Formats: sequence, structure tokens, C-alpha cells
Amino acid sequence: MPSPRTLTCLAILPLLLAGCRSRTQDNPVGKPIAIKAPLGLPPVPVPADNPATADSVELGRRLFYDKRLSSDNSLACAHCHDPKFYFTDGLRLSKGVNDQLGVRNAPTLLNSAYMPFQFWDGRAISLEQQSVGPIANPVEMNNAKHEIFLDKLKDDAEYPKMFRKVYGSKEINLVRVEKALANFERTLLSGNSAFDRFQYGGDQTALTPAQIRGLAVFLNPAGGNCASCHTIGPKDAIFTDGKFHNIGQGVSGDGDFTDIGRYHETKVETDKGAFKTPTLRNIAQTAPYMHDGSIRTLAAVVDFYAGQGNSNPYLDPEIRKIHLSPQDRLDLVEFLNALTGDLPPNSGPPAK
Amino acid sequence: MRLKPSFALVLIAASLAGCKSKPTEPVVTTETSSAPVFYHVDAATAGSISGTLKYTGKRPTPKLIDISQDPTCVKAHKGKAYDESLVVDSKGDLANAFVYIRKGLEGKVFEVPTTTVTLDQSGCWFRPHVVGLMVGQQLIITNSDPVTHNIHSVAQINREWNHSMGPGDAPLQRKFTKPEIMVPVKCNIHDWMHSFIGVTDNPYFAVSKDDGTFKIENLPPGTYTLGVWHEKLGVQEQTISVSPKSDTPANFTYKGE
Ligand code: HEC
Ligand code: HEC
Repeated sequence: MPSPRTLTCLAILPLLLAGCRSRTQDNPVGKPIAIKAPLGLPPVPVPADNPATADSVELGRRLFYDKRLSSDNSLACAHCHDPKFYFTDGLRLSKGVNDQLGVRNAPTLLNSAYMPFQFWDGRAISLEQQSVGPIANPVEMNNAKHEIFLDKLKDDAEYPKMFRKVYGSKEINLVRVEKALANFERTLLSGNSAFDRFQYGGDQTALTPAQIRGLAVFLNPAGGNCASCHTIGPKDAIFTDGKFHNIGQGVSGDGDFTDIGRYHETKVETDKGAFKTPTLRNIAQTAPYMHDGSIRTLAAVVDFYAGQGNSNPYLDPEIRKIHLSPQDRLDLVEFLNALTGDLPPNSGPPAK
Repeated sequence: MRLKPSFALVLIAASLAGCKSKPTEPVVTTETSSAPVFYHVDAATAGSISGTLKYTGKRPTPKLIDISQDPTCVKAHKGKAYDESLVVDSKGDLANAFVYIRKGLEGKVFEVPTTTVTLDQSGCWFRPHVVGLMVGQQLIITNSDPVTHNIHSVAQINREWNHSMGPGDAPLQRKFTKPEIMVPVKCNIHDWMHSFIGVTDNPYFAVSKDDGTFKIENLPPGTYTLGVWHEKLGVQEQTISVSPKSDTPANFTYKGE
């Protein structure tokens, strides 16, 4: 007589198979390509169920620049993540379909492949999971039902062929769209900045004396203390610890939070006002700054830290350790200007 | 969050209003315990105190403050920046002293003025250098400068707080919950910027002007301890009797070197 355990196993088996089958079906089928990380960046993490193939990256790129992903065909992902602005929109807060104003500043997608969490509050944990967000968000691409934009893609002359090439069948579904977008985003890497050539490339002349002083301030725990959150590693640097911190940004005059940030996800009281540490790569090109885009210049960001942020009950203790002399502040800004890297190849709009 | 309590109040108010068929006297039974009874000053008998603060000894030479580390501040300041921690004129008159009623008003609850008090940051300088307000009165902090400032209220009795203010940022609104003589205010970014806020639970305070004079008006007759605070010279006090409808003189002298 079969034991109860075997029975359960048997019951689960078809489910597992079904799960597996649909998953393999939605995985890119071609030969995986190696995404080469530029100087200063670690190898790109790629999930096992979404190997990057040349065709899937190309499909993702096409989708990324396709306005049909929005409800009224007015804007593509690139509307808010524009290569001209280093994959941001250069605005304080993003504007979506019908010019609806969002509540947060659009982060750069360059190097987002390294982020263990996506969004300022980390509500998505992978690029795959992330991309459905904006498509459905009423103040972004505004698709109440995904079927609507999927149908638009199915009616296209090219897409069914492209999906067949990538996934082995012409079926167009949400998972496939997500995966392709994520694979394109994984190629949006930007390194080889002056800082990288200095720090990891052995070029002692790559940074100016002021930038070298600024780097020292950045690293000094009793100075800028910046690297305690915007991490610089021995072999590479993504300038973020991938964690959430309350630096006192977005605290209103009477001490309330204008945006509760990470708390939205965790419901842990001390996460109120905490946001994901953003990368600082290409920071000179992605003004304005912070989750609410409220700081216009890098000099003003540095002054914000020099003042030790805005007090509130959950202010990260690391902020209180920051001490910056006037010279330190000037040097820090110079250093932040040395973090602009190369734009990745083949990242602009696809040729028709 | 924040919105909810006030929202709830609005709802209650709305529902109450909705229930009443015609306007009636407000129901006060539950209110009496919480609503404070404010002391009413009788204008017919009120008196005043006025006087001058003097500094004896050699007149301190105004100390020039070097703000050149921030060139934007130099431009914004328009003219030289002189230290305001000890300001004495050629006749020995002492400015920037905070004068207030320290004792004698116990048991009287004064209504909080609806007027606001402004502390401006302009030319990388807090203006005014010394200012007073009542517990619960609205303090408005403005930044008129093209640079980021940071207001750090280093309170001991009230809650200490620190807030960054970029150029063009909306004014900051704050209140103090307890009397405190004085709350030092500084800017973490520009270390020469200082201001002092006197927080009292009565409306009787003044800051001595450049000619050393001060005046406190509309005071009920009685005997008071008048206190003075000066940033560099410390505190003094004297007992003073204010008679009805008259001005009582009160002068203070600080000995210098
Ligand atoms: C209307 C403007 C807008 C559009 C269109 C838009 N985004 Fe965004 N994107 C944003 C904003 C704003 C955020 C930050 C939101 C947040 O954190 O709450 C964001 C965040 C992201 C992030 C997270 C990055 C990080 O470091 O946390 C990724 C990835 C991303 N978007 C990809 C996409 C993709 C893919 C599309 C198209 C399917 C898209 N976005 C369309 C505005 C937009
Ligand atoms: C306690 C961790 C922590 C420390 C220390 C820290 N940061 Fe940040 N940084 C953050 C977080 C979190 C954000 C995002 C906050 C937000 O948007 O509310 C941020 C945002 C920024 C931004 C804006 C990025 C963007 O894309 O908008 C810059 C620039 C920056 N930091 C530079 C610095 C510098 C320079 C220092 C050192 C003086 C520093 N940070 C120290 C955590 C930290």
C-alpha cells in the first residue's frame, strides 16, 4: 500500500510538471551570449530561467522603445528612461500617460542589473518582476489589463516572428515580454569611468588631484562616510550596498514622511522613510536627485549630507558620522563628476 | 497617518452639523475640562517695563568673520560679516540681550499669538540673531540664499532637530512645546551661523536693540522677577514691581574687562 507521502508526491507531480513545462517554454532557446562587464563592474548576474540570447536582447530592445506598451500608444519605457539622459527622464517626477505626474523620480537603468532590489522601495526583486509594474501603473503606461497591449503586439507583423525566434514558438505572453525586457536591461552596463581607470585600471593620471582628494573624503568613515552605503569594492564598484536607509530625505517641516518608502513593503516601523541606496555611477548626468527629485545639483546633495540630513526618529546612524569641511565638499563634487562612464553599445532605439 | 485624525475631526464636525436642524449653542459639557481659560489683561490697569542694557569696560572691537570658504556666501552677504555675539555701541549700549518675565505670572495661561515669528537665512546669516516667541507660536524659517543651509536647533528641553533647506525650498514651520531660555540654533554647514531663540510661556519678552533699550508692554500690575540672558555675558535678574498704568524702569549692567 502506498504511504501517504508517496500519495502526496504523486498528487504534486503533475503540478510540478505543468510548472516546469510552462517555464521552459518561456525561456529563451538560442545560444546564450556572454554579457561583458566593462572596467569597474562585476560579472552580470543572470537568472537560470532567463539566459540572455542575442535574439532575446534584441527583442527586449524593441519592446523597450515601443510606444504600444502604453494604453494610448503615447509612450515607451524610454520615455522615462531615455538614453539621452543616461536612462532617466531628467525630470523631478516622471510624467506618464496623459501627462499624469508620478510621485517618484525615475532612476537610471544603467547598471540596474546589479541591484538586488528594484524600485526606490525595493518592491520588485528582479528585473523580470519589475517590468510589469510600469506597464500596468495608471500614472505610467496605464494598462489596466495586460491583454490589451499583448494583443497589439500580436497584431504586429514582426513581433510573432521575433518571439518565435527567441522562445521557439510565436506565443506572446506577459512572462515572455518581461524576460525580453529584462535581458535588454541586463546589457545596459556603464563602467570605464575616470574613476574606474584610476582605481581598477592602474591609470594614476585618470583623476585630477581634487578628485583624488574627493575619493579619500568619500571613503573616510570620519569624513564623507559615503562608501558605508555607496559601496566601493576591491575589484569593482556598484556604489550601492543594495540596502535601504533613512537619510532624512523627504521629511516634511513638521517631521512627517512625505513618502514612507521601504515601510510600504515591510511594514517595519523603522523602515519608514528608508529608500534603496542608488548607484552613483553617471550621477553627474542624472539630475535631479533623490527619490523625490527634490535636490537639483550635486553641490546641493553634498551640502545636504554636510548638514547631516533631516532629523527624524529613524535617521540612519551613519548619517550622523558625516563631517565635511568646505574643501571636502568641493572635492567630493569633483569626485562625483568622475563617475560618468561609457554608454553601452546597441542601447539606443533599434533600426526599424 | 497624519491626515487621519484631522480628517476624522472634520467628519465628526460634519456629522454633528448634519444632525442639528438649526444652529444651537455649542455643547460645552465635554469641552470645559480641556479648553484652557486664558488670562485676560485689563487694558485699563496694565503697565509696562522699559530700560536699557549697558556694558561697562572697554568697548569690544567688532570681530570680522571669515566666510570666504563659501564664495556664494561672500556674494550673498553684501558687505563684511561681523560677529554678533557681543554688540556694544560707542556709548556702552548692549544689543541682543533677551529680557523676559521669569517669575510672577504663575497660574496665568496666556493665549498663543496668532502672529508668526520669522527666522531668515540670508547672506549666510541668521536674521535676527536673537528672537523670542511663545510656546506653541508658529516659527517660520526661510532661506533667502542661493545655497543650501541647515537649521540645527540644539534644544535641551524641547526636541532637538536638524533640517536641510535648499535654495528656494518652501519655508519651514516649527513650534516649540516647552519654555526654554535659550534654544541655540546653528547651521551644520556654515559654522559661523548662530541664532538664539527664547521660548516663553507668556507674551512678555523683548530683545535689546542696538541702542540697548527694550520695552515690555501690556503687563498686569504685580511683582515680577525680570530675567536677562546674554549669549556671552550670562544671565541676570531683578525683582520689579509694576504699578497700574505706569511705566517702570529696569536697567541692567554687565561688567566687561
Ligand atoms: C512614466 C514614466 C515611466 C515609464 C513609462 C517607465 N518607467 Fe521605469 N521607472 C519610473 C519611475 C518613476 C521609477 C521609480 C519608481 C519607484 O521606485 O517607485 C522607475 C523604476 C524603474 C526600474 C527600477 C530601477 C531601480 O534601480 O530601482 C526599472 C528597472 C524600470 N523602471 C524599468 C522600466 C521599464 C522596463 C519600462 C517599460 C516597460 C519602464 N520602466 C517604464 C518611470 C517610468
Ligand atoms: C546611510 C547610507 C548612506 C550614506 C552614508 C550616504 N548615502 Fe547617499 N544615498 C543613500 C540613499 C538611501 C539615497 C536615496 C535617498 C532618497 O532618495 O531618499 C542616497 C542618495 C544619494 C544621491 C542621489 C542619487 C540619485 O540618483 O538621486 C547622491 C548623489 C548621494 N547619495 C551621494 C552621497 C554622498 C556624496 C555621500 C557621502 C557624503 C553619501 N551619499 C552618503 C544612502 C547613503
